[in-house]
Amino acid sequence: MRSELVSIRDYFKPIPTMNTAQVRELLSSKDPSAYNLIDVRQPGEYERAHLPGARLMPVAELLSLAGQLDPNKPTLAY
Amino acid sequence: MLATAGFKEVYSMEGGLRAWDGLAATGEPDAGTARFPEKASVAELIDLAWSLEEGNRKFYTELQALLIDREAVELFQNLVLAEEHHQSALADLRLKLTNRAAGAGIPEDVMEGGMSISAALDWVSGKKLAEVLDLAIALETNSYDLYIKMGQRGFDLKSKELFSLLAAAEKEHLGRLVGLLDRKL
Repeated sequence: MRSELVSIRDYFKPIPTMNTAQVRELLSSKDPSAYNLIDVRQPGEYERAHLPGARLMPVAELLSLAGQLDPNKPTLAY
Repeated sequence: MLATAGFKEVYSMEGGLRAWDGLAATGEPDAGTARFPEKASVAELIDLAWSLEEGNRKFYTELQALLIDREAVELFQNLVLAEEHHQSALADLRLKLTNRAAGAGIPEDVMEGGMSISAALDWVSGKKLAEVLDLAIALETNSYDLYIKMGQRGFDLKSKELFSLLAAAEKEHLGRLVGLLDRKL
């Protein structure tokens, strides 16, 4: 019960954000291998436009696909 | 969700992609590798990359004759040289891996982004320089996207290193094209 309460509380913690200028700085200054870049939208939206190098991981499948990523790298999702 | 899955440092982009006014790639997650089976070998991906560089080299070579702006002509001359260097590096790697030349069996009239060279040259005829640069930026952005993904495929170290270098080169090309576009607008 205690661990369930802890994990439920986690869902209410705000996720840090980056504004577009910070994202631009990240993408231009870092090698793509230094971070995880994830597009959590649907395939049609991804096809129309996505950030270069972004991996498509629709939000409904995110947890099942997250194993493909290195959890120790900074991760940016949009 | 990712934080609870053990990811230590997670951020979301404010405003999502709608807020983004920078470079964006297009196409399906495997666009650019779609002409190959899902499990394309590193040799097949080298062939694809080589042929796309070849297409781009041909396009930029022909494009120079259609442009008047001296600075633009010079930039595309430099890009032609860069594409040749990329091809040379890809061909070397291909030979080392398989003892075969790169690009065999790949369609000829194709360039980065999967567009045909002849269609692209027809399109640019009569267009303003800014529109031509926009096209080149779109092509290079898709290439940058493709090389990042190739580097993520988990091949041997040499291949990953080469795809990573090519991604960095495409990023540099983008910087130069965007810089020229900013000056000419």
